Formats: sequence, structure tokens, C-alpha cells
Amino acid sequence: MPSLGDVGQLAVNGVMAGTILAVPAIGLTAIYAVLRFPNFALASHATIGAFAGYVANARLGLTLVPSVLIAFFVAGVVGVATDEAVLKRFRPAGYITTAIASIALTIALENIVRFSFGNELRGYDLPIQRDWRLGVIRIGPQQVQNLAIAAVTMVALFAFLAFTRTGKAMRAVADNPMLASIKGINADAIGRIVSFLGMGLAGLGGMLIGLDTTIDPLTGFRSILSVFAAAVVGGLGSIPGAVVGALTVGVGEELCLLFLSPDYRSAVGFVAILLVLTLRPRGILGQRAY
Amino acid sequence: MENYLLAMAVSAGIYGLMALGVNVIWGFAGMVNLGLVGFFAVGAYVSALLTIKGGWPIAAGMAAATFVTALVGVGVSLITVRLRGDYLAIVTLGFAETIRIVASNAIGLTNGTDGLSAIPGPYRGALSPEVFNLLYFGIVAVIVVAAYGITERLRTSPFGRVLRAIRDDEQVAAVAGKHVMLFKVKAFAIGSAALGLAGALYAHYTSYIAPDIFVPLLTLYIKLALLVGGLGNNRGAIVGAFAVVFLLESTRFVIPLVPGISPVQGAAIREFLVAALLLVMLRYRPAGLLPERLSQLPVSGPAGRYQPTA
Amino acid sequence: MLDRTREPRRRFLKTAGALALTGMVPTIVRGEEAPLQLGVLTPLTGAGGFDGPRMAKAMQAVIDEVNAAGGLLKRKVVLVIEDDQTNPEAAVRAARKLMDVTKVPAIMGTWASAVTSAVAPLCWESRTFLTTVSGADSITKLPHQGYLIRTQPNNYLQAGKHAEFIAAMGVKRCFMMSIQAPFAEPTQTRATEVLKQKGSQMVGALIYDKDKTTYRSEVDEALRTNPDLIYLNGYAPDVTILLRDLYRAGYPGARFAQSYAVTTKVLESLPNEVTEGVITVQPSADVSSPAYELARKRLGIAEPDSYETQATDWASLVSLAIAKANVATGTGIRDNVRKICQGNGTKVYSAIEGLKLLAQGKEINYEGASGPCDFTDIGDIIDCKFRYNKVVAGKFVLIKVA
Repeated sequence: MPSLGDVGQLAVNGVMAGTILAVPAIGLTAIYAVLRFPNFALASHATIGAFAGYVANARLGLTLVPSVLIAFFVAGVVGVATDEAVLKRFRPAGYITTAIASIALTIALENIVRFSFGNELRGYDLPIQRDWRLGVIRIGPQQVQNLAIAAVTMVALFAFLAFTRTGKAMRAVADNPMLASIKGINADAIGRIVSFLGMGLAGLGGMLIGLDTTIDPLTGFRSILSVFAAAVVGGLGSIPGAVVGALTVGVGEELCLLFLSPDYRSAVGFVAILLVLTLRPRGILGQRAY
Repeated sequence: MENYLLAMAVSAGIYGLMALGVNVIWGFAGMVNLGLVGFFAVGAYVSALLTIKGGWPIAAGMAAATFVTALVGVGVSLITVRLRGDYLAIVTLGFAETIRIVASNAIGLTNGTDGLSAIPGPYRGALSPEVFNLLYFGIVAVIVVAAYGITERLRTSPFGRVLRAIRDDEQVAAVAGKHVMLFKVKAFAIGSAALGLAGALYAHYTSYIAPDIFVPLLTLYIKLALLVGGLGNNRGAIVGAFAVVFLLESTRFVIPLVPGISPVQGAAIREFLVAALLLVMLRYRPAGLLPERLSQLPVSGPAGRYQPTA
Repeated sequence: MLDRTREPRRRFLKTAGALALTGMVPTIVRGEEAPLQLGVLTPLTGAGGFDGPRMAKAMQAVIDEVNAAGGLLKRKVVLVIEDDQTNPEAAVRAARKLMDVTKVPAIMGTWASAVTSAVAPLCWESRTFLTTVSGADSITKLPHQGYLIRTQPNNYLQAGKHAEFIAAMGVKRCFMMSIQAPFAEPTQTRATEVLKQKGSQMVGALIYDKDKTTYRSEVDEALRTNPDLIYLNGYAPDVTILLRDLYRAGYPGARFAQSYAVTTKVLESLPNEVTEGVITVQPSADVSSPAYELARKRLGIAEPDSYETQATDWASLVSLAIAKANVATGTGIRDNVRKICQGNGTKVYSAIEGLKLLAQGKEINYEGASGPCDFTDIGDIIDCKFRYNKVVAGKFVLIKVA
């Protein structure tokens, strides 16, 4: 019989995992909110960010924070570039065609990474430490670090959306594009900014995931299901929803270990999506972007 | 060489059958089915298990597979028919992955990740591999032609017209007195039947199936085949399927011409080429970049987003 | 809707394309000068993508040596490498190309059990020889008529030997963590059996999802049973994460893994504290056998792992069998492979050594880098020793060969 301590530990693990998951989930949902399609290329941009951070850290010798910033920036730039060059041209044909094009795009980008770096597993050049014990609960310093980075990122993003003019313009386009264009907001420019931000967050998330583990060309691909589940559960298009959804999925995937064999974990993500969509399709926080 | 081309043609034919089925669900009725590989798996496993463990004749197994998959299609569509387009897509994707996970873990039934070997093929033992290939190509060709005939008939029939009306604007169709849900479920059942039959054909051709075969990548290929050929266009579905297989296979022969690269780099280039060329074909397809349905045009704005499901 | 003139044009393009491909395939006009092509089908992308390239490299190293010594049957040997994408559907198409277009007598390198099971029927039907590492018990039980050999010892043999070693270490409580794969359950059953026989105990086991990015909860579950040793039965990507999470949890006990899960590259990507004391195991020849040492030199790696040594042996076995058969056909390889690796001939430890003796008309017995390479009728390894290494300060140190 699992003790309260066991359940508590699972919940803590879930919250930690969920917070990291929230970062790319916000990216996915933000792009969906403004550009109106699920951009599956998120997977390869997470990988690109992770590798950009790796080059900065292991090859150029930068410390954690500058490497994370580089991961964000490189992934963001690639995100804008690929959207302009590839995905934008499919948008007139509808969101399904664009979504499918984004899948083909993610395969192409993943293989560029594979061509450049090979399939070997690579680790960041950062120290590893033993966990701290707080009573019955075990928490790792790296987890706390990742949590801090994720939290700071999210706070920065929310501040951007709430207080800056561009941020408010983005919310306007997400909520009501026709009204936004009447008010003179340039939808194209906003689209580019959200691609940069969204994919930058994906890259940052990819690196955060890689910090705990190792990275290889499949890093982003392995997480895309959980990221997607997080966004959907929280309400596709709602940015706070992505955070709530990520925490829910993160905790859910851990708590299900109480009664399911661990190899059924990925089924949890899908069942979660299925349940949410049948019972409450709008997701937990609905569809308003902010 | 001929054997190889025949085998690739069988693959393309099976993909084409899948594309025709998905065309009914997606092209005609406008329902996005991202889980088509799950129905493909159901058909494959049903026919394989009936013929291996139940000793059924192959034709009976295939027929049962078609029927059972159609039933599964009815079930899935009943659950999801009220969902809006993008949510339907996600749920169907979940369905496919769930099928794969169940197949991996239900070891008693499906042999788990070990897969099912020695699935019988028509006259497999008695014929040389080349003749067997030829025979199977004949079988697949006949089935694909028949399926094409059926779907073409559907397209031009009143049933097909209603489906397209539902695709373009569900509310109008409902107002016109059509029982929307019934039509959608029927379309899903027909499409699933085709997918199930394709699965059975695959199982008896290769004599081995395992959960690892039924991955979303296959769904992607079929979707791309349809989009490249022109959604709703049956001839385009078959041509698109052949185009996808052609891309996958012809890139194999191009890679050795690139000098000074490692095997991994060669493999990466090939996958990149397949994805990139598919994007190019998608962009410049003969049918043009037509909007999928009228209500998807960007100007529909908030009204489109908050549209209540039927 | 589709323009009627475009449709026949597309069909024409496809036919023209196929004809062009036929033209691109090298047609063999004069026998002696055409290269002898051997097939490699291995995962270069997909879940197995971190293992395929190493195996391809190992095979290429052997073939380079063979070519430098004059080739096979007076022809230069060329490896034609195809990616199986760790996917049986893609693998089957790739195998068909190798068999029907390139017409190779042998295909070497399949890794995933599902891929091997899918490709094997094609191989025996077209009389192509297949060599593999795949561990599923069902593979050698297929009716392959001798066209398949597996250089990886089967699960029963491995699990038993590993358990003996673990018990001999003095471990009383062993916990096994496996990925969901065909080898998981047979390994667990046999290991549990043998541990009990030797006075030890398997205190628990769990199967984990190989695609997760953290295994804290799974590690917690294992640690709850208080094991002295945890057997990590997975592959490099997941075992890497497990090692990290075990370190973070402060687990003081022993960790045991296959050599392909903790390779030299894995050691490089992890801090030394995390891997200190990890024990790895791989099938091996006798301590005294020079084959492993030769593989080390040939590859330029301090400790070639299980897959690299097996790949070395495939290329060597196939080359020697072709030389003995004096033809490059799958049936020739099948009929001659055991003649060059079993029996009373002179022991040889590399392909070039064996080729030289064969040219002099002598009988040989190839002893490989992954073991003595003696196969049962159904293609399993009869017996082999195992090489146990320990990781000390980020490098491998030999414990023993047993």
C-alpha cells in the first residue's frame, strides 16, 4: 500500500516535471492562439534549442544561464525563419494542411540536426548533485534550478503579454483578429513575433529537459505527446491553460504509477486528452488566450 | 529488379487503398482522422489472429477484418462525432496510439512487441517468391480498382453530395433535414472498412505484424498522399500514394551518389529529402492550394472559433 | 477536378523514373572487376539510431582490412548500407531493395526484434543470409532453414550467466528494471530462477517506458525494496537517465547493465561520479583470445561494446564463408558458415588471418571478438563466456571473463 509519503513524492515529481513541460506547452498554445494551427514542428525546435544550448555550454564553455538564453534565441530565430519560408505558404489552405506540413517540417529539421551531430547521446557540461531530503520528500537541486528557470520564463512571458504594447497586440489578434486588424495591428508582424516566442520557448524547454538527461536528435520528438496533452488539457489557445494543463499532465503521469504499470505511461497522456475532449472540449481554462 | 518494383507497387497499392478510405472520411465528409493507422492495425491483427489461431481461410479473415474494423469505426465515430475538427483530429490520434500500446502489452492476445509471425499468404508455400509477388500484386490491384469504383460511385451519388454538404457547412445540412450524425458515422464506417482491409492485405503479404509497424508516420504518409493528389479526388488519392512510395524508394538510390558522408548522414539526407520533397509537392500540387472547406477561410474569425458543435 | 492530361503524365513519370532507376543500378558486365556487394540493414534513424552507426562502422573496418589484403574471390568488397529506420515496414522495403536490386548474398545488422522478425521471411524465401543481434527468443525458432544466425546469446543463456555472476559477487537482493521488449520477461524469469539457486534473491522487477525524460518515481519504487544491486535492462538513452536519477537518489548499491547500454560514449557524456562502479557485461571469447584485442586496434576504441564486436564477427564470418564456398550466394554462406567457425581447424581470430589460411587450403575455426562463434542448428550461440567490466574514474577496467 503506498504511503502518504510515496504519494507526496509522486506529486512533487509531477509538479517538477509539469513545470518544465509548461514551457514548450505555452509555446504550442500561443502559436495556436494567434496563427490558428497546432505547430508540430515544436518537436524539432525543442531539439534545436537543446543542441544550441549544448554547443554554447559544452563547446564554447558558457555557463547555464547564457546557454539557456542561446537555446531560446536560436530556436526562436529558426522558428520565425521556417514559418516564413515554409509554413506561411500553407496557411491559405487551412489549418489541417498547415499542421501536416509542420509534421513534415519537423522531420526535415530533425534530420538536419542528425546530419550535423549524429545520433550519439550528449550531455551538458554541468555538475550533477545528489538530491536534498526534506522529510520524506526528495528534491534535486537541478530540479529546483529548472523550476526557477521555467518560473522566471513564465513570469516574463506573462508580464510581456500583460504590460507591453506588443504583448497586448498579440492577445488582441488571438482573441479577435478582425477587430485587431481594424485597430491597425499588423497581423503578419504579430505572427512573426509569436513564432519567435513560441519556438523560442520550445527550444528553452528542450534544453531544460536535456539538462536532466542527455540530448540526441529525438529529444524533442519524445516529449511532443506530453506537451500536446498539456496544451489540450488546459485549453488549446489559452496560455494560462497551458500551465495548468502541464501541471495536470505532469502530476497525472506520476500519480498513475500508483495503479498502472510504468510502461502504460504514454497511454495516460492520450486518455487524458480523450477524457478532456469528450467531457469538456474547451479544456480546463477554456479558449481565451489570456 | 522486377520483384522489387512489384513489391513496391503492392505497398503503393495498399497505401492507395488506405488513401481511398480516408478520402471518404476526410475528403468527402471533412472529418480529420489522424488515427487511421489504428484502424489499419485492427484490420491486420483481426485477420492475422483469425487465420493463425482460428485456422480461418485467408479470404474469410480479410472479410472479417474489414467488417470488424468498420464496426470499430462506428464506435469511434459515435464517441467523437460531436467534436469539432481539430479536437476530432487529436482524439483519433490518441485512438491509434492506444491501439498500439494495447497491442504491445496484451501479450496473451497479440504476442506483444514480439509480433505475429507466419501469417499465411495465398499459396505462399507453393509458389516461388516472384510468382507470389505477382499473384499478390494482382489481388491488390483488383481490390484497389474495385475500391476506386466504389468510392467514385459514392462521390457522385446523393450520399456523397450530402457528405460534401456536411463538410462545407454542417448547420446548413442539418437545417436541410439531413441526419448529420448518421451520415458521418456511415462515412467513418466505410473509410474504416477500407483501412481494415488494407491492414489485412498488409499482414498476409508480409507474413509478420508487430505494434512497431503501426506508428503515426504511416498516417502522415497517407495524409500527404491525399493532400498531394487533391483532397476529395479519388484518382488523386491513388496517384498520391504512388508518389509517396516513389519518393521513399527513389531517394535510396540517390544517396550513394553523395560523396564523403557517413551512413548516418546518408540516412539523414534521405529522410530530409523525403520530407522536403513532400512539402514541395504539397505546395505545388496540380490541384492547387484549395481551401479545404469554406468555413475555414481566415475571415470567418471568431465566429468560426466559437462555433458550437452540431 | 484533376486535369485529365496531368494524370497520364504522372503515370509516365513514374514509369520513366523506374526505368531510370534500373539504369542507375550497376549492371555487372565483366565478373572479376565488379565489386562484391554485401548488404547492411541497420537502424541509422529512429529509436535504434544510436546503435546502428557503430555496427556499420565495425563492419566497414573489417571489410577495409579484407580489401587491403586482396578482397574476396579476387573482387573488392563493398558494403551497401540501408537504414531500417527501426521500423519493420520501412525495413521490409529496404530489405527488398538489397535483395532484389543490389542482389546481396547476405544482409547484416538488424537490431530491433520486430525488424528482424519482419525481414527474416523475406531472407529465407529469397535465400539471403541474415545476421542479427536481436534478442527475442522467437527469432531463431522461425523456420529459417539455416539462413539466420544470431551472434547475441539467447536470453536464457545470458540471464543465467549474469545471475551466476551477480550471486557470486555476494549480492543478496537484486532488482531488475527493464524496458518493454521481448527480452524483458524471459530474462527476468531465468535470472530469478538462477539467483534463487545460488542463494540470492530477485526482490522485485519493473518495466519502464523508454521514452520518459525522468525516472525518479521508478527509481523510488526500486529503492523501496532495498536492493544491493539493480540490473538495468534497457538501452543507452534510458539507462543514461536511470544512472543519473540513481545518483541523485543517493543509491549506494551496485548497478549492472549490458555493455551496449553503457558504452564509451555514454561514459563521456556523464560525469564520473554518476558512472563510478557500474558493471557492464558483454558476450566474449576467452581471456586469452586475441580477437578482442584485434577489434580494439581495428576500431581504435578502448573497449568495443557488445554490438561492435558482434558486427565485427558478422563481417568476418560472412567473408570467410564466402571464401570457403567460393561463390557469393546466400546458400553458399549458409552451407559453409559453420565449416569456418566450428570444428577442428586452426583457430583464427580475424577475417584476414582466416582468408590467408583458406587460400592455402587449410581448415579454420574462427573465434570472434564477441565469443567463440559456435552456432546451433537454429542459429543460436551454443555457449560463450562473458566479459565483465567495471567503470573506474570514467574508464572501463576488466573484472573477469567467465
